[in-house]
Amino acid sequence: MLIVNNLVKIFNSTRAVDNLSFIVKPGKIFGLLGPNGAGKTTAIRTILNIIKPTSGEIVFNGNPITYEYYNIIGYLPEERGLYKRSKVIDVLIYFASLKNINKSDALSNSDFWLKKLKILEFRDKKVEQLSKGNQQKVQLIAAIMHNPQLLILDEPFTGFDPINQQEVKDLILSFLSEGKTIIFSTHQMDLAEKLCEDILLINRGKAVSSGKLSDIKKNFGGNNIRIAFTGNNDFLKQFPEIIKYDHYHNFTDIQLTDEIIPSEFLKKLIGKIEINHFSIIEPTLNKIFIDRIKESAGSA
Amino acid sequence: MKKILAVAKWEYLEKVKTKTFIISLIITPIIIISFSILPSILFKEEAPNVEVIGLIDTSEVYFNEMEYELSQYKLPDGNRNYVLINLSFNSKNFEELKSTANKKVQKNLIEGCLVLYNPGSDSVYAEYRSKTIGNFKIVGRLEEALSSIRLKQKLEQEGIDTKILKYFQNKVSVDQLKVEEGGNVSDQDFLTTFFMSIIFILLLMMMVVYSGQMLVRSMIEEKSSRLIEMLISSSTPDELLTGKLIGLSLLGLTQIFIWVLIGISLVAGSFVPPSAFNNILPMLLYFILGYLFYSSLFVGIGSTVNTEQEAQQITTYLSLILMLPVVIAMPAIQNPDLLITKIFSYIPLTTPTVMLLRLNVESVSELEIILTLSILVLSILIVTKLSAKIFRIGILSYGSKPTIKEILQWIKE
Repeated sequence: MLIVNNLVKIFNSTRAVDNLSFIVKPGKIFGLLGPNGAGKTTAIRTILNIIKPTSGEIVFNGNPITYEYYNIIGYLPEERGLYKRSKVIDVLIYFASLKNINKSDALSNSDFWLKKLKILEFRDKKVEQLSKGNQQKVQLIAAIMHNPQLLILDEPFTGFDPINQQEVKDLILSFLSEGKTIIFSTHQMDLAEKLCEDILLINRGKAVSSGKLSDIKKNFGGNNIRIAFTGNNDFLKQFPEIIKYDHYHNFTDIQLTDEIIPSEFLKKLIGKIEINHFSIIEPTLNKIFIDRIKESAGSA
Repeated sequence: MKKILAVAKWEYLEKVKTKTFIISLIITPIIIISFSILPSILFKEEAPNVEVIGLIDTSEVYFNEMEYELSQYKLPDGNRNYVLINLSFNSKNFEELKSTANKKVQKNLIEGCLVLYNPGSDSVYAEYRSKTIGNFKIVGRLEEALSSIRLKQKLEQEGIDTKILKYFQNKVSVDQLKVEEGGNVSDQDFLTTFFMSIIFILLLMMMVVYSGQMLVRSMIEEKSSRLIEMLISSSTPDELLTGKLIGLSLLGLTQIFIWVLIGISLVAGSFVPPSAFNNILPMLLYFILGYLFYSSLFVGIGSTVNTEQEAQQITTYLSLILMLPVVIAMPAIQNPDLLITKIFSYIPLTTPTVMLLRLNVESVSELEIILTLSILVLSILIVTKLSAKIFRIGILSYGSKPTIKEILQWIKE
C-alpha cells in the first residue's frame, strides 16, 4: 500500500504538484490521469524518489522512502528507448544489476520474460535490430524483471499493436493477482476505464476527481440516453427536458434534466419520430475527464 | 557501492567495444607519431638527381670558383650534385641574358639560374631564379659559396694567404646541455624531448576530446530516450555519476596503458631514444590527472546538453584550451621564467598540458611539481562535487539549454 499525503512540489514559483493526497491499494490498478502538463510526471518522480518533494510525505508498506526502496520499485517511463547499440541480454542484466539482482538470477529472469513475451530469439541481438514493438517489450522486461512491489507504468500501451497490447494487459493483470501495487498513468481513457478501480484525475497540479471509479461515475450524475432515429434531429430542440445533445453519425447522445425518467421521455419521442434504438448510458470516463478538466480550468 | 561498480562496468565494457574507441586507440598514436617523425625524414633526404644550374656573371670571374665550391656536394653514388653552366655570352646584354635564362628555367633545361649583380665589387649581390621558391638548401649553399669567394678575393687583394680561409670556415659550435634537478647534467637531444612533450599534449587532447564526446553522446542518448529516469529510479544520481567517472577513467587508463606499450616498443625498436622518457613518471601523473579533471568536467557539462551540436561546441572549446601550450611553447622555451607560463601552470584547465611542456624544456623544481599536482587533485575533487550537483538536476531537465544563472542555482541547491 502506497500512501501519499499532502504532496507539494514547487519549481521556482510554479506549483507543479499542489497538495495531492491519495492511497494506492495493493492488488488494484490505480489510474493517475490528467491532461498534458497536469503534473503527472512530477508526481511520479517524487514517488520514485527521483526528486524530493517540497513538502508532504510518501509511505510505502508502512515505511518512509529509503535507499532500499529503489530495489522494490519498477518504472516504465512514457518515452521509450534503450541502449541501441548494446545486446538485449546485456541491457537486461545491467538494469537487473542496478536493482541488486545477481547475474545468475538476472539471466534466468531475463530468459523467463523474453520467452513469455515471445522475443527469446532476439536475446543476443543488438537492440537496434529489433522492431519498435519488440524494443518496448525489452524495456518493459527491464522495468519488471526484478519482481517489484510497486510498479509505475506511464502509458504502457502506446506503440503496441492490438495483439501485443493484449499480451501487456495480461502481464499487468498477472502482477495484480500477485498482490502488487500498480500505478497506471495514461491519456487513453477507455483503457483506464477497463483496468482501473481507483483513479486520481489531476489538472494544474491539483486533484480534480479521486476515488473509486464507480463512485465517480455515480456522482458525476447526468441522466443520459442514447437514441438512433430516422430523419432530421431538429425536432429535439422543442424538448425543455434536454440539457444538451451530441449528434454522431449513427446515434445521438442526450443529457436530460434529473427530474425526468428516461422511459417517460421515450414515450414523448415515439409520437414524433421513428426510433431505431434507445438505451440508457452511464457517463464514460472520457466524458468525465473532458468535463471535469474544463470545469477546473473555468474555475481557475 | 555495488551499483557504482555495476555502472562503471557497464560504461567501460560498452564503450571499450565501440569502433570509435578502437580507432582512436590505434589511429591516434600512428597519426601523431608519423606527423612528428615525417618532417625530419623528409628533411634529411638528399635530392637524388644531378641539378643543372646556370650562372649569369658579366665579369666572368666567378664561374671557376663557383664550380670549385659546388663540387664538394656529392650525390650518394659519388657524382656531383650540381653541374654549373655558364650563361653569360659576350654578345648579349644583361637583360637579354636574363630572359634567355628565364626561358631555360621554364623549359626545364636548367633547375635554376644564379644572376650576379655588381660582380667583382664588394657590393656584389645575387638572385636565384627557379620555378619554385623555397629552395632553402641550394640557396644556402650558393650563399656560402659566394661569401667564401668574396672573402677569398678580398684576401688576395690585401695580399694575405688564402689558406687562412679554411680557418675562417671552421666555426666553433655550442652544444646545449640541460641541468637537471640535483645538479646532474643531461645530454638529451632537445628536439626529441620537445617533440615528446608535444606528442603527450596531443595525445591528451585527442583522448579528452574522444572520450568526452563519447561520454556526452551516451548521456544525450540516455536523456533523449528517458533511459535516465529508469536509471535514477534504480540508483542515486551520485552512484550513477561516480560509476560513470570510474568507467571513463578505466577507459582512459586502458588507452594510456596501450599507448605506453607502443612507446616501449618504439624505444625497443630504437626509433625513439630512451632519453626521451626521462621524465616519464611525472608526465604520466600529469597526463592521468589531466584526463580525470577533464572527465569530471565533462560529466557535469554533459548533463546539461540535449543535442549533439551543443556537445560538439563544448568539446571544441575545451580542446582549444588544451592546445594552449602549443601556442606558448616557443616563448616558454626561450624564456622559461616567463610569468605567463607560470600562471598557466597553476590554472587547473591548463596545468596538465603546460606542465607536460615545461617538464621537458626546463628544469621544474620539485616544489612546483608537488604544488601543481595538489592543485590538480584538489580541483578534481571540487569539480566532481560541482558536477554531481549539476548532474542531479541537469539529467532531468529537457528542452532548452540551461543558462549559466540556472546552473549556478542548481549548484546552490
